[in-house]
Amino acid sequence: MEFGTIEREIYIEASPEIVFEVVSSPDHLKEWWPDDARYEPAPGAAGEIVFGDRDAGGAVVSFTVVDVRPPRTFSFRWTHPAGEVAAEGNSLLVTFDLTPSGGGTLLKMTESGFREMGWEAAVLEQQYREHVTGWDFYLPRLAPYVATLWVRP
Amino acid sequence: MSAAAAEDVDDDLWSAIGDPTRRRMLDLLLVEGEGTATSLAQRLPVTRQAVAKHLGVLDRVGLVRGTPAGREKRYRVDDVQLARAVAQLSSVGAAWDARLRRIKRIAEAIQRTQQD
Repeated sequence: MEFGTIEREIYIEASPEIVFEVVSSPDHLKEWWPDDARYEPAPGAAGEIVFGDRDAGGAVVSFTVVDVRPPRTFSFRWTHPAGEVAAEGNSLLVTFDLTPSGGGTLLKMTESGFREMGWEAAVLEQQYREHVTGWDFYLPRLAPYVATLWVRP
Repeated sequence: MSAAAAEDVDDDLWSAIGDPTRRRMLDLLLVEGEGTATSLAQRLPVTRQAVAKHLGVLDRVGLVRGTPAGREKRYRVDDVQLARAVAQLSSVGAAWDARLRRIKRIAEAIQRTQQD
């Protein structure tokens, strides 16, 4: 068992060109992962992805494009400290490999770097979502409660 | 325990199982039930000293438990702690499963509109 890397494979009934666009373009990335994404899909380009609202306590996370070879490979590093150059040891590396298969595409995803980064970074998004869900749950209940306090003599 | 301390422990746990030699040692201990630094060193391309050091790392994060046996210690895998480490990795995997399902849905929708 390899504990330092996560590997996943999924078959998609769409051409490699389409799948490549979906995994690599910032506009599509926003549809399947963060709430905002700003980067140039070019090797070495540094940018960021945002979970939640940037101006209201959202999590802004560094994102650097590593490799762009349409329609075969797209890879990036994320979770490195802001201002640092993404490299092995300070970030998680995600690689998408696309292989034509039948009438569609076999998409393979590999995420590595947990050995260096620990698991905290990998669940950053999940922790953020849980935090937000918590407030989504409590805030609507808080307002009526405050209202009842207010009308009491 | 504070939340910060719990996270520190988790990171140590992850880096403890991140090392290939230590993972091989865990595999051997799981298969054979127990082992000492000497018995493990006979099965691995590293010295007894190195094995003892790795066992120390695994012991500190609770992945193995040692009991004195003569001049050595006999080690077993702590099933609960190993399950915890595996569960953490699974939660990251589950997040990727959900993202990949969304990628599939989006790409297939685009493919269909292009065919129409």
